[in-house]
Amino acid sequence: LDVSQATLVFVVLAPGVLFAVFGMLWLMGWAPSERVISTATGLTFLMSVFGLVGMVVGLVWTSDDSVTVEFGNWFAVHDYRFPLVLMADWLSLPFLAMTVVLSGLIGRFSATYLHRERGFLRFFLLLQLFAFGSLLAFAAGSFDLLVGGWEMVSITSVLLIAFFLQRAAPVENGLRVFAVYRACDIGLLVAVFAMHHWAATASFHAGLPELSARQSMIVGLLLLAAAAGKAAQVPFSGWLPRAMEGPTPSSAIFYGAISIHAGAYLLLRVQPMIARSGLATALVLAAGAITAIHGTIVGRASSDAKTSLAYSSLTQVGVVFIEIGLGWTSIAIAHILGHAMVRTLQFLRAPSMLHDYHAMHSASGGEVPPTGQHLEDLFPRSMQLWLYRWALDRGHLDAILERALVHPLMRLSRIFVKLDRAGLRTPVSPSGQYAVSMKTTAGGKGDS
Amino acid sequence: MRQTGFALRLVAICFPWLAAVLIAVIPRQLVRGAGFAAALVSVAASALLLIGAPARESLDEALMVLFSSLALGATLVIPKRDCTRAAIGGMLFVLGSTLLGYSAGNLLVLLAAWVLTTVPFFAARWFAVRTWRPRAALLLSSAALASAIFLIAVSGHSMSLDRLKAQSPGGLHVLALLTFAVILRKGICPAHAWVADAVEGGPVIPTVLLLNGHFGALLVAKVIVPLFPHAARDLFSALSYLALFTALYVAIRGLTESSPRPLLACIALSQSACILAGLESRTAEGITGALVHLIVVTVSTMGLFGILRLLEVRFGENLTTARHLGLGEHAPRLAVFFVVFGLALVGLPGTLSFCSQDLLIHGTLASHPLTGLLLPIATAMNAVSVFRMFTRLFLGKRRTGFTLMADALPREQWTLAAGVLFVVLGGLFPSSIVALQSAQAETVEQATHRENIYPGINAR
Repeated sequence: LDVSQATLVFVVLAPGVLFAVFGMLWLMGWAPSERVISTATGLTFLMSVFGLVGMVVGLVWTSDDSVTVEFGNWFAVHDYRFPLVLMADWLSLPFLAMTVVLSGLIGRFSATYLHRERGFLRFFLLLQLFAFGSLLAFAAGSFDLLVGGWEMVSITSVLLIAFFLQRAAPVENGLRVFAVYRACDIGLLVAVFAMHHWAATASFHAGLPELSARQSMIVGLLLLAAAAGKAAQVPFSGWLPRAMEGPTPSSAIFYGAISIHAGAYLLLRVQPMIARSGLATALVLAAGAITAIHGTIVGRASSDAKTSLAYSSLTQVGVVFIEIGLGWTSIAIAHILGHAMVRTLQFLRAPSMLHDYHAMHSASGGEVPPTGQHLEDLFPRSMQLWLYRWALDRGHLDAILERALVHPLMRLSRIFVKLDRAGLRTPVSPSGQYAVSMKTTAGGKGDS
Repeated sequence: MRQTGFALRLVAICFPWLAAVLIAVIPRQLVRGAGFAAALVSVAASALLLIGAPARESLDEALMVLFSSLALGATLVIPKRDCTRAAIGGMLFVLGSTLLGYSAGNLLVLLAAWVLTTVPFFAARWFAVRTWRPRAALLLSSAALASAIFLIAVSGHSMSLDRLKAQSPGGLHVLALLTFAVILRKGICPAHAWVADAVEGGPVIPTVLLLNGHFGALLVAKVIVPLFPHAARDLFSALSYLALFTALYVAIRGLTESSPRPLLACIALSQSACILAGLESRTAEGITGALVHLIVVTVSTMGLFGILRLLEVRFGENLTTARHLGLGEHAPRLAVFFVVFGLALVGLPGTLSFCSQDLLIHGTLASHPLTGLLLPIATAMNAVSVFRMFTRLFLGKRRTGFTLMADALPREQWTLAAGVLFVVLGGLFPSSIVALQSAQAETVEQATHRENIYPGINAR
């Protein structure tokens, strides 16, 4: 390994190693202090930032296109190979930089924000795992490896939504988000299989797999489903406001910056493949346009700051999808970077919004001019009311998905349970009695 | 060398049996130690056998190591309340009988092992199940296998698996009976309901030990594929569809199940059905995935059921997933072990199941491009069920009336940590496990693809 390759390996693996070490120590009974874990996290990301800066300087100096590290095959069976390839090119480098910078910032912010919070260690462990998953996804040189990082991001995202585990709502919302993620990830898994099946490889470090136009269309559509799920595009947008139940720093990094843009990264990576299919391109454009409109309307009717910001993110990601559909990849990357930074700042300031408003109020001499009315004024009054109702229910997307998919599935499940119990008396639980009261405490509310 | 192998095999099988008999007369406080020692001897003997076996013919030995390690872990994890002479004795009896089944090179020995593993489950005091279905399924599967072997004997062929290779002894009737035995023993639809019944009413850890013998899959890999290569090719499609349907059916059924034991049984059954689907995919990837997945399912389900039993002992047996119980506040490490084992069962990246699922999905989709889609769908549903179970059991408001920590005891903690380490390290460095199973998989695959080459998996 040369210096650049070693740096890339360090940047990707460092948060994962930190997670593994702290996690195993905790399982064995040792809990590190807040200072130890926040300092270790901060130092790791600081070193990663310096490493990435060095890598970029090295790439510019040598005029290379990318840094690639090949470890051979993770495992191989017959003709099937799972290549272990890390790659940092001019597409993945901005995402890698965004991840390490924002993870470091969020770590620093959370050391104060979550001070003496009961889940302090858990938050930092999940932040490290999330950073590892993101870096793995962005630095993967094959779709096989990308799936690993992609799913790690999903799981940490869900566990952080359910961070305040004493309250039922975050936990249930985490479950809901997990279900959407898993459903959409099927698209990614099948797309990877299709690439292996048709092109005998899913690696892209030496160029995308060679597929025919029809095959490109199928793979593109499958990847669009996965990207749309991760980026909360219509019709999967319903999970995004539910994800706001997590602590503010995690909302900032996941839904303001990194996780929400992972879908866009996937589409950027396969943009040449999508561009070969008119249908896939049209669907990317349609998903982006509909989501952008949906996000801006619903965001205006949201009554809490974080949900409003989440829908603003959605609108911007929708626009990014449009840019990708139109083939403006450089603009899309610049848009993602700018949006991620600004939105993270807004999310982190969200708990102080009233304070900021009062400061602005005082600074402007007691009069803050209203903004944002221009769009509403374009519509007649009756239409405004209809749109408001529509926006309050977030476009009825959850209701539609529930009626079309969830309720029939649950009904089917109940029928299966009845079928399995046919001819039997109603089963009773095992013989034991309650060893402890199953009543819950009146209190136990977590932080929100 | 051959004699040493035979002696080691004898030690691995007979030591648990002898210990099962001895346990009846020793004081109860020594029962766990005796069970542990007997299982440890089995592990050591099986490991020595595995080291000495050639790579392409080491499936039996690998399974022996896996199952004896599982029994070893079970003797450590089983709660004090359940650690009776009958429970430990029964587990050791099942261990010896299962290892006999893995070692069998003869149909009669295989039948004996098949029947012996079920014997403890017919003792009403030991296996107090509330429905008739588990015993009926075990009885019928044994009867079907016995009938098939009887027909083979009547048709005048040998009882040796080596000599019967590619002979299709007894024809379609025997094949149908063998398939019937697999369906019943493995819990394939429509004979799946007994598994949940068995787990719901019976002693959890010994029952899971029985289920994790995977005798149904063993019969496919050891008897059906080598003995009936031509017919198996056609039959496999039907069995594969049934297995995929089972994986989906049980996964959907689990979505509304609120009792933890049957819910976990549904998830385990669905993932086990994936093993059969992979074995029947007739691709090297699918078969290797199935064999690796067998290891993952075995370790993970044992860990999950073990943790569930520990929770039942601590918090009462009427646990439910209909609401949040908040047990994670009292048992944080059990919660972490549960979520790792649970997600490891359904393909968490960084665990061995990520590799096995990857291979399984590729193999199944390659052989059945449309119906193969059921596999990732079923796995996704199982993942939701696992996560729902985790959130309902461990998250939510804390319990009143229970102020002490009830986390894992050191012996439980170390055993569960070993299981977690295995699935995680196996996932991070899967090449040796995959390569070992891959060699076996190619043998199984060749048996269904070629007419004259039937090296078999039991060539010793």
